[in-house]
Amino acid sequence: MKAKTYIRSALVAVTAVIASSVQAAPPPGQLLASMCFQCHGTNGQAVGGFESISGKSAREIYNELLEMSKRKKPEGIMDLQARAYTPGQILLIANYLATLPKAANSDD
Amino acid sequence: MNSNRRDFLKFASLAAAGWSFPKAIHGATTAPRVVVIGGGFGGATVAKYLKLWGGNIDVTLIDRAASHYACILSNLVVTGALPMDRINLSFNSLKTKRGVNVVQGEALSVDPSAKEVVVNVGGTTYAYAYDKLVLAPGIEFINPAGNYNDQLTPHAWKAGPQTLLLKNQLAAMTSKQTFVMTIPKSPYRCPPGPYERACAVADVLKRKKKGAKIIVLDANASIQAEPVNFGNAFKSTYKGILTYVPNATVNEVNSATKTIITAAGTFKGAVLNVIPNQRAGQIVTTAGLANDPTARWSVVNPLNYASTAHPDIHILGDSQATSQPKSGHMANSQAKVCADAIIRAFNGEEPDQNPVTSSACFSPITATTAAWLTASFQYDPVTKTMKRVEASFAEAAKPTSDGMQQMFQWADNIFADSFV
Repeated sequence: MKAKTYIRSALVAVTAVIASSVQAAPPPGQLLASMCFQCHGTNGQAVGGFESISGKSAREIYNELLEMSKRKKPEGIMDLQARAYTPGQILLIANYLATLPKAANSDD
Repeated sequence: MNSNRRDFLKFASLAAAGWSFPKAIHGATTAPRVVVIGGGFGGATVAKYLKLWGGNIDVTLIDRAASHYACILSNLVVTGALPMDRINLSFNSLKTKRGVNVVQGEALSVDPSAKEVVVNVGGTTYAYAYDKLVLAPGIEFINPAGNYNDQLTPHAWKAGPQTLLLKNQLAAMTSKQTFVMTIPKSPYRCPPGPYERACAVADVLKRKKKGAKIIVLDANASIQAEPVNFGNAFKSTYKGILTYVPNATVNEVNSATKTIITAAGTFKGAVLNVIPNQRAGQIVTTAGLANDPTARWSVVNPLNYASTAHPDIHILGDSQATSQPKSGHMANSQAKVCADAIIRAFNGEEPDQNPVTSSACFSPITATTAAWLTASFQYDPVTKTMKRVEASFAEAAKPTSDGMQQMFQWADNIFADSFV
């Protein structure tokens, strides 16, 4: 029992040393928003075809995603992708994307 | 073979005794070390995002090959519509732009207690020390019984030289000959992929080889993905050319006589494309991590993709046992969840409790049209599994030329998000 506790505290110490050299914990919404990057480019900057989504107002992204998720008859992939997230998650995504620099190829 | 094995065993016993032999990579360093085995969509993405999001993490990506040939779009290389270069994804950006240490070598074994992975790099074995190990080795085949030879009977289910073998065999087919393909029992890599291949081949036969036929032998009871689009294509678009046979479990393959014996009969063809049943990549099995009930796949915690057997070994993509589809797109999703969780762990934090993963893809149905399929998954804290969000799951109403255009845009973006 004692040995176990000792080992556990040693592990915590190692983790603490490691933590000092790594960037702070990820900002909210970053992981969820990165699912968009698969088609809309890393950090929301698409490499072609699909729209870049970085640096837009959070309100615009939030409203657009919510509208897609509520469309009665889903048509494209986005209408379905938008349905994957709760409104709270959509808000996190929108707020995070708004903090990213706008793409050079952005259409607005 | 035997002498290699002996050397390996000798080394393993030395490692167990605490020796750092043959050559320990990484000396004193303050940055935490992550070693990633496998440079497909999962491995490349986790390496990239650990650097992008994690900053000062020492990331080493190890792959057998000098670059990765994507299975995405590879059926269009088989038909001759695209050149091999189109699916050849370089590791250069990961190296130069992201700062990943890329090593060409083959992982031989894992020592979870010493936290080392032994890698054969150009004939020399090295021990790579890690704080976190990520295994993303894709799939291994369970070869069928009989006189089976994948050089004569290509699977083309790992892109690369196999893709070219099948392409050349298809190109050499004359009119009135038969192409016979087999679809493995689920779960296998890329659920819609075999049906897409059937369509891609049927399209070539229809346009260029009058009278030639394709027989599709499915080990499953029905079409496993996009049943509407593939069902319509099989019944209408390729009527008279394509025969679909469900419940055709492969019992034996003879590559020399070009014969396949199945539960639904014996079939012969000018070209055999046998896609064997599958299990996790070899290193997962070697490391004793193929611990699901079938002993083929690795059970993981979907909040961070840590193995249930070893908390510092993460397994993602095709090799893991969750019910999420085995695809490059899905591996990219899982890799981001894994990278995020590893960074949090280095900060002494718990993983994000509400991850979402996504699988989307486009499949060519004819030379000019494609259909799509999409599904997303939310973490369910009750069952501790990723649950498909049913409202997010659908296939295209029909294949379109717009879909074909979007397919290339999708491929370009998923290629770049994973490898650039």
